[in-house]
Amino acid sequence: MKTLGFLVNPISGMGGSVGLKGTDGLYEKALELGAEKISKKRAQVFFEYLGNTKDVKLLVPSGEMGEDLVKNKGFEYEVVYNFKGLSSREDTIKTVQEFKKRKVDLIIFCGGDGTARDICEVVSTEVPVIGMPAGVKMFSSVFAINPKAASEILKAFLEGNSRYKDSDVLDIDEESYRADKFKMKLYGYLKTPYIPNLVQDAKTLFEGQDEEMAKEGIAIFASEFMSDGSLYIVGAGSTTAKIAEVMGLKKTILGVDLIKDEKLVASDVNEKAILEHIKDEKSVKIIVSPIGAQGFVFGRGNQQLSSQVLRKVGKENIIIIATPQKLENTPFLLVDTGDDELDNQLSGKTLVVCGYRMAQRKEIRKD
Amino acid sequence: MERTKIFLDENQMPKKWYNIQADLPKALPPVYSPRTLKQATLEELSVLFPMEILKQEVSQERWIDIPQEIRDIYAVWRPSPLYRALRLEKALKTPAKIYFKWEGISPAGSHKPNTAVPQAYYNMKEGTQTITTETGAGQWGSALSYATSLFDITCRVYMVRVSYEQKPYRRNLIHLWGAEVFPSPSNKTNAGRSILKDNPEHPGSLGIAISEAVEDAATHEDTKYSLGSVLNHVCMHQTVIGLESKEQLKMEEKYPDIVIGCVGGGSNFAGISFPFLHDKLKGNKKDLRVIAVEPHSCPTLTKGLYAFDYGDSTKLGPIAKMFTLGHDFIPPGIHAGGLRYHGASPIVSSLKDQNIIEAQAYHQTEVFEAAMLFAQTEGHVPAPETAHAIKSAIEEAKKCKQTGEEKVILFNASGHGHFDLKSYELFIHGKLTDYEYPADLVKQSLKKLPKIKED
Repeated sequence: MKTLGFLVNPISGMGGSVGLKGTDGLYEKALELGAEKISKKRAQVFFEYLGNTKDVKLLVPSGEMGEDLVKNKGFEYEVVYNFKGLSSREDTIKTVQEFKKRKVDLIIFCGGDGTARDICEVVSTEVPVIGMPAGVKMFSSVFAINPKAASEILKAFLEGNSRYKDSDVLDIDEESYRADKFKMKLYGYLKTPYIPNLVQDAKTLFEGQDEEMAKEGIAIFASEFMSDGSLYIVGAGSTTAKIAEVMGLKKTILGVDLIKDEKLVASDVNEKAILEHIKDEKSVKIIVSPIGAQGFVFGRGNQQLSSQVLRKVGKENIIIIATPQKLENTPFLLVDTGDDELDNQLSGKTLVVCGYRMAQRKEIRKD
Repeated sequence: MERTKIFLDENQMPKKWYNIQADLPKALPPVYSPRTLKQATLEELSVLFPMEILKQEVSQERWIDIPQEIRDIYAVWRPSPLYRALRLEKALKTPAKIYFKWEGISPAGSHKPNTAVPQAYYNMKEGTQTITTETGAGQWGSALSYATSLFDITCRVYMVRVSYEQKPYRRNLIHLWGAEVFPSPSNKTNAGRSILKDNPEHPGSLGIAISEAVEDAATHEDTKYSLGSVLNHVCMHQTVIGLESKEQLKMEEKYPDIVIGCVGGGSNFAGISFPFLHDKLKGNKKDLRVIAVEPHSCPTLTKGLYAFDYGDSTKLGPIAKMFTLGHDFIPPGIHAGGLRYHGASPIVSSLKDQNIIEAQAYHQTEVFEAAMLFAQTEGHVPAPETAHAIKSAIEEAKKCKQTGEEKVILFNASGHGHFDLKSYELFIHGKLTDYEYPADLVKQSLKKLPKIKED
């Protein structure tokens, strides 16, 4: 018997427009406008696909955040948190804290980037999470494509046939949002189960592997070619962080670090510090991993790597890395540096390092 | 009407294999022992191979007799037909004349039995009771199972675990022909056990499977090891392909301008091309172009280094001079599994090094496009490996369309793709990935080859 935490963010779906920072009035209006319908409907579809799975127990928050969707469906469930009035992010956080306290095997949620971020704050990568999309813009990569896919992943999880990957949690950077700039920030990682695509690479040796092994392959390769004396600007993310780990360095996962000759030169640097550091360097290279479900190489989650930095380093010195698991779900990569000419330069076919001495040919497009 | 198939009678089957070592402008560098880093001796190698095979490996005789017992078995599928690809030519609107040698009609469905049978035969002659080998997707394992079944030899196949689990058809063929097949890493060998101890779920690799098969052979009485490509004697056994093709083209009063084969280890390429290279090396056919085709994801001949390297990732096999991407390189999971080898035959490598042959590389999706065109025009469904040769032939034929030249293009259709339909399905649904070898980054990091001082 597995215990699953289930929660719905009834107001998600308004994401970038009225969203989580709206006033109470707008909040209610959003509900009226049908935000509730989106997440509720998605969750209903999910349960239809799931059918009568008997050997699970569901832990849910009260009312429209959970209970309403599971009662009278033949599931064994327990309400672990009661919320009053309109649901807020505190309610999500408190619910997930209850889930964690009761040691759930898995959390399923229906919501958007904000909900993912709230869950991430509590459980990080400690408990696996399946996200069901209920928003317009979904940048975090924790989300299954649709409720049907989410139900299949859950079934595989229950049968012990799923594997895990780190999914980045992105949300709109509030500061830049207020300044009327659309910038995404990387907030952390959730551990998400997925069904390995056994068919895609039937003859390969790595398709049976976890994403973790793929990351290690990339990192070992990178640690070999990075000993060429160049200063490396290493972008955010768990794949790039693995490189530092292999070299025995401590890198910030969410920030940009500088590495030269297998030594950490500077940590969590901003644009200004990067420009200062590379001023007198002979050879500078950038290593980045695409961020988020849409696969942004630049322009989301790594604003430090500004167009000025990129122009200075040069297109030919940019090395993109990503695990096959990540690339499988992103048919092409995106750039949005805010510098149209540079975006044009960066667009086109490029190599993405995806394993030990291994790369894939991928297309980069402008957002 | 132009002829579609050109047949030879069974009594026109070659009576001798062609040994290109007799005609190489530069003798092959010696093979070194991985233990001593000195020249490997026949005694060392005789633990693994029967003496007659070792003699063939180093022989400088130009022609080596094919024993009658082997020719009797060859007759099951040989001589194989030579096809004129009239419908493909028409689709391409090319003035070129495209011929292909169809090896897909052998029992195992590829050229592999051409060497599996003689290897099993010589082992039987010298009293071998059991032969061990490794197999990736199962092509070689099934061919050797077929061959050993003919001589009442036990065969133990170590099959890369992910393929064992995901590719049941070749595994079933191995069983059907009476061989034993184990998922590698297995608990039958020290090599396998030590890997399973660290990771009981290890997906396996060709390198590990080689180590297991070699260890099995080296530690059991009357047990030898067999390799399906790369080695000189294997390349020589395959020359029946080119020798027949030559006779068949002669019947059409043709001689090829271009000969094409795909390269993994290099044996099918050797088979189709060496008999024609014989003429070129003698100085008769100076303009003959011979093209080795490989995947961009494992571009041994186009991007590799010509150096001494281990033949396998576990450094158990002999060290030979060849084009290599490094013995620790595990090629990505392209669907042409047979072309996923870090090195290449030392003879093919030497020919490339001296620019006697040329090499081309293509991406997986463009290769499958070519395979589809071939299947839609010629009917036969090629193996993804074979499709590399087809792609090159199509490109050369397109050039002829531009220049108006009526060149004769010959390629080896090394095997059928009936067990690869899943790959075709993925291609049709746009789900194939184009892998590419990051050559520049590798150059920045390549420093792990064994250090050999040439005597």
